[in-house]
Amino acid sequence: MSHEAALHTSLGHDDHGHHEHHDTFLTKYVFSQDHKMIAKQFLITGMVWAVLGGLMSVLFRLQLGYPDASFPWLESILGKWAKGGQITPEAYYALVTTHGTVLVFFVLTAGLSGTFANFLIPLQIGARDMASPFMNMLSYWFFFAASIVMLSSMFVETGPFSGGWTAYPPLSALGDASPGSKTGMDLWIIAMALFVVSSLLGGLNYIATILNMRTKGMTMTRLPLTIWALFFTAILGVLSFPVLLSGLILLIFDRNFGTSFYLSDIFVNGVGALSNEGGSAILYQHLFWFLGHPEVYIILLPAMGMVSEILSVNSRKPIFGYMAMLGSLFAIAALAFLVWAHHMFVTGLNPFLGSVFVLLTLLIAVPSAIKVFNWLTTLWRGNIRFTPGMLFAIGFVSLFISGGLTGIWLGNAALDIHLHDTYFVIAHFHIVMGVASMFGMFAGVYHWFPKMYGRYLNNSLGYIHFWVTMAGAYLIFWPMHYEGLAGMPRRYFDFSIWESFKQFAELNRFISTVSMIVFAVQILFLINFFYSIFKGRKVTTKNPWESNTLEWTTPINPGHGNWPDEIPEVHRWPYDYGKDGVDFIPQDVPVGENESSH
Amino acid sequence: MSQDTHAEHHDVIAEIKKVTIILSVLTIVELILGFWMIGITSEGLRLAIKGVIVILMMAKAFYIVAYFMHLKHELKNLIMTIVVPLALFIWFIIAFLADGNSFKNLRNNYDPYFKEQATIKAEKKEHGAHGATPSSHEKGASNEGEHKTKEGHK
Amino acid sequence: MSNVTTASTKEAKWWNGGKSPFDVEYGKVMMWYFLMSDAFTFGAFLISYGTVRFSTNGWPDPNLVFKSFPFAPEGVNAPLVFVSIMTFILIVSSVTMVLAVHAGKMMDKKGVVKYMIWTIIGGIAFLSCQAWEWNHLHHEGAWWGRNPFMNADGTASTSNFTNFFFTITGFHGFHVFSGVVINIVMLIMTLMDKFEQRGHYLMIEKAGLYWHFVDLVWVFVFTCFYLL
Repeated sequence: MSHEAALHTSLGHDDHGHHEHHDTFLTKYVFSQDHKMIAKQFLITGMVWAVLGGLMSVLFRLQLGYPDASFPWLESILGKWAKGGQITPEAYYALVTTHGTVLVFFVLTAGLSGTFANFLIPLQIGARDMASPFMNMLSYWFFFAASIVMLSSMFVETGPFSGGWTAYPPLSALGDASPGSKTGMDLWIIAMALFVVSSLLGGLNYIATILNMRTKGMTMTRLPLTIWALFFTAILGVLSFPVLLSGLILLIFDRNFGTSFYLSDIFVNGVGALSNEGGSAILYQHLFWFLGHPEVYIILLPAMGMVSEILSVNSRKPIFGYMAMLGSLFAIAALAFLVWAHHMFVTGLNPFLGSVFVLLTLLIAVPSAIKVFNWLTTLWRGNIRFTPGMLFAIGFVSLFISGGLTGIWLGNAALDIHLHDTYFVIAHFHIVMGVASMFGMFAGVYHWFPKMYGRYLNNSLGYIHFWVTMAGAYLIFWPMHYEGLAGMPRRYFDFSIWESFKQFAELNRFISTVSMIVFAVQILFLINFFYSIFKGRKVTTKNPWESNTLEWTTPINPGHGNWPDEIPEVHRWPYDYGKDGVDFIPQDVPVGENESSH
Repeated sequence: MSQDTHAEHHDVIAEIKKVTIILSVLTIVELILGFWMIGITSEGLRLAIKGVIVILMMAKAFYIVAYFMHLKHELKNLIMTIVVPLALFIWFIIAFLADGNSFKNLRNNYDPYFKEQATIKAEKKEHGAHGATPSSHEKGASNEGEHKTKEGHK
Repeated sequence: MSNVTTASTKEAKWWNGGKSPFDVEYGKVMMWYFLMSDAFTFGAFLISYGTVRFSTNGWPDPNLVFKSFPFAPEGVNAPLVFVSIMTFILIVSSVTMVLAVHAGKMMDKKGVVKYMIWTIIGGIAFLSCQAWEWNHLHHEGAWWGRNPFMNADGTASTSNFTNFFFTITGFHGFHVFSGVVINIVMLIMTLMDKFEQRGHYLMIEKAGLYWHFVDLVWVFVFTCFYLL
């Protein structure tokens, strides 16, 4: 029937690899529809944002570490935002807000899953490209547009939005609430709306590709865990970002059309009571965190998937408990949607409802622990190769444990009331979600760089990068736990005026110094990255890490379409390391007659 | 082959007719319940009718998705990947509404102004009058007004 | 390409790779997941509406608000009548869309054209009804931030009744509008024999999914705003 004929033509993109395109610079590097190039575009845009976001954190750490000092050079960079060489409170809040937004959405969502979902999905499942290469390209360009809008918000007269990355009303809903609540907030909303479109286009593509375009023999349980993680990430994104979009649309109405979705008759200094009635600021928080919590896992799951893969490859052992890993990924993805209100224990949330959220939140510890133990048992008695990628993967596991444990504290409503909005929270989420996912991203870059560019990154620089970042991450964030327990609130411009926080002046200066060193080492990584693209040691073999997955069966520099000939067929799961005394058996090797079953 | 598709064709048309009738009947029942509810003042009964309306709404949604969107005739794999994530709505709805309700109770208990607002009768408006004044901005006026109409009681 | 004979012997092994586990092309998978995503957008709107309504003491009675009818004399009391007409228009246009999709499966170009035109007319009729209703309410003084209606118990109402009404029906109307645009594009493509050349009418099916989704959302919007 015609229906079936249509199915077959649209299922396989077999013709892609065969006819040669004559690519111009524009179609090859800019408006490329090749998933590998789009991945690199995501990666490099993400890196630009990471540098900007990191620089912002250095600037506000400078203020926190040296609240009384004046740096004339700051004024020459920031102008009126650093009058007299000191960052103004407005600039401080703008920096904190933009740092959060940029790192969470632009770096760790688009930069991480945008890069690796695009790069790895077609290569690891054995497809010529994404299901819809055109939509894939659009996804990047929407992200680019969002980036431009967000960037431009930093140059408007009143500055970027400054009410925290969560954009709670009334700061975000009232244009006069703070300087950043004017144009800055409008641009923030536009950028986020574009970002939602980008992530939707990307996510739909990832889901359809993973489901529909696996090569022959690639059953769902033969997928590398990377792909499973990216699959759940895409589902989380597709189902949770729309809720943010709805929340933002209501916010736009509140800002511009006199509605009271989030505003009620609150008293505003100098204005009196607002004329709004009946709105609920808590509603916004619910909507925001219905996205916001899955967002945490959108950031974390890709890192988890890549780490599983890298740990297994570099300890020359099969991943321990593949099905348990898969089950825990599913459990985390499902629970991600059920726990959002644990960010809102102090909003006046119904205490009974709160206790249900506590229960659901603490349940996440179970799949997380399963994953941690499986990673550790994968390493156990492995023949470990300490490549920089592997070190970052191990670092991820360490950070995930350290940060995850404090999550159990914070998940309890009773404790959270004390710790809410203190530096304890900052320490918790930076370790478990921020730095850990960053480590996952670094691990991925070090591991797949040879596939991306056909060259190796410099190993020595890689080791320096790892050890300084690892030590730095703990030195920066571990002391913040103590500050938080002592009650030091987050988002404060200057602690030196409180007697009780004076004891932390030294510590804050220490943290700020370390953060600058760590930032400097990231620049070293960037130098390594861009140098190695052009001058790095060339990859001479197809499969430098002796890995089982399909991306290493492609040529060293695969063209558009990935495999010059037929797409290989898959006969086994991707973790046959050390099986029957053989170091590794790639997925496309048929099962031998005397081979034992795993 | 052509006979097969011919028979299939009739089956499909019959199914579309059946579903159209079911949807129409469900809508008409909903409307009847809606009209009936206009005259009812008992809160419990109103709530029960509203419950029935919600069930009818779900039934309509089922028929649209299953037959018009053809989901019932797809493979079970596809059905499951669509239906299972929709289960997330259950907790989504329960938690949001429960917290909304709790917010109301909290304010009624601890915010005398909020509670007082709920007892102020609105001035009777001429419906259909062009450019009627917005009510939300004149709470001060209606606060002082001693000539509040009491017709609102039913 | 996959070998048809081996594929048919392993009919049950949908997940083995090399073919779609759902036996549908990727575009339809994407459309389904897009609709899921859109369901969460509308879900979030309607649940927000419910949340605000649950956290407010009084709420207007829809039967006192939506009681007018076009060309009827001022002050007519006809609750639910106009909206039930709107509902039936959308149901009927959904039925014609199913018929168009079915005609597409039968490769019946004339049928597709006929039913697509009816569907488009249905969509435009619905939009016109909505435009009339919005206009009428606007004349009564209702708009974003302005609510002339009092609560069912006679107390002063907040503006959130109209805020949510206009936002959600507006967002739904926007979906209907884009659905009409998509359907017009599909109609033009059918008339240009695009689908005949491709040998399939799968695009019509995807447009149909979208259109039914718009109808589905109306089922919820209609119930939440006019009946409950």
